[in-house]
Amino acid sequence: MSKTEQRIQSAPSKSDDDTPIISVENVCLNFEREHDQIPILKDVSLTAAAGMFISITGPSGCGKSSLLRIIGGLLTASSGTVKLHGSPITEPRNEIAMVFQNFVLLPWKTALDNVMFGLKSRRDIPDEVAKEKCLRAINEAGLNGFENVYPGELSGGMKQRIGIARALVLEPEVLLMDEPFSALDNLTADHMRTEIYSLLINPSSPIKTVIMVSHNVEEIVELSDKVVVLSARPAHVVGGVDIDQPRPRSKKSEKFFDDEDRIYALLS
Amino acid sequence: MTKTEYTRFYHERNRREMPLKNESAAVMLPNVRTGEILGLVETTRRLGSPLDLSRLAIELGAKINTLLPILDAAEMLGLLKVEGGVVGLTEFGIKFQNATKNKLRLVRDQLAKIEPFNTALALSAHRHTFSSDEVAETLSEKGVQWHQEPEVNQAVVRGLLIDWAIHAGLLQYIATDKFRKGSTQM
Repeated sequence: MSKTEQRIQSAPSKSDDDTPIISVENVCLNFEREHDQIPILKDVSLTAAAGMFISITGPSGCGKSSLLRIIGGLLTASSGTVKLHGSPITEPRNEIAMVFQNFVLLPWKTALDNVMFGLKSRRDIPDEVAKEKCLRAINEAGLNGFENVYPGELSGGMKQRIGIARALVLEPEVLLMDEPFSALDNLTADHMRTEIYSLLINPSSPIKTVIMVSHNVEEIVELSDKVVVLSARPAHVVGGVDIDQPRPRSKKSEKFFDDEDRIYALLS
Repeated sequence: MTKTEYTRFYHERNRREMPLKNESAAVMLPNVRTGEILGLVETTRRLGSPLDLSRLAIELGAKINTLLPILDAAEMLGLLKVEGGVVGLTEFGIKFQNATKNKLRLVRDQLAKIEPFNTALALSAHRHTFSSDEVAETLSEKGVQWHQEPEVNQAVVRGLLIDWAIHAGLLQYIATDKFRKGSTQM
């Protein structure tokens, strides 16, 4: 067993403390088109406790990413609330960071400057300390030596590492990931899933909970402790699946197939 | 899969820009990314080495012509062996997979012997800084090219140098397309 696998196995998969860090309560989202209200999310509720890796899945276009943006404070719900430790989230918070599917990097900035950009909202951090933090995050994300490289010169996997470093530098309690591996080829994604999980969920990481949106059921079963399945639009929660398997998980085990089946059953 | 079939697939693959021209005895790294090699080694071990190439391709949902250059690069670096359609990790490949950090530093010596890294290191020996275009040009003069279009060829060389040589610690990236020799420390 490699050391990465040992780290994964020793990672706290679930906490004894079930108090939610994030609670989504009866969230509805409507988009306005001319004079019509188009319902996107309908009464969506979920919770994320410490040590939990939560995945949200559902049909394409059902509003998964919109829900993640509401949790991140990037989008306002039409009704309902999202709370961080019981306090309503109404705008982006330093405790919550996000990794995007298409990386969302600034092409005119180097890897280091892109990561530094993540700390722009932290005016309380002196520049020198900020740079030191960024270099540490770059190192953790496996980008050592790439500080001066521009995103356009990097592969998809490396671009996503910048996105991850930019999130890590905030030392967030909650990490939101919107289809973080879907723009990568299978081999790179396979490798990054293992590495990123051990980087995010380990005792020395400040991240206490991860909420990921994904449509890749195999990826979801490999990574998650709990899965929330949404219906087609307007999306509501059709069910949840607890994944209770030791880590690292064998994709060939009967339990793995069973959990995949349970998710597919809810999706269909 | 026989070696002949393997070779045929190797030359017929259509997705990547593969070594197009090689008029010297230079060994050229196919245009593959470090993430693909890391993923290949990890997947091969997870599925149980040795295993059939066809099974590996099915498991990865990869077309054989996509997979072959990645296998070829992994073989070149001594990480695995492909023989008679069977893929197996070498002892070095197992050591590589078990390493926790800076795995790509382990292939530093192998990379230094192959192109475009060998030429880049030769340039770095007598130049404080150099560009990837200069490496591509020097290689073209020796008859070593990944693509017939000079601009595409330069992009391939730049991509290989950035992705592999920096990870392996062979080169440092100073500023836009400016490299210099990497630290000698592992």
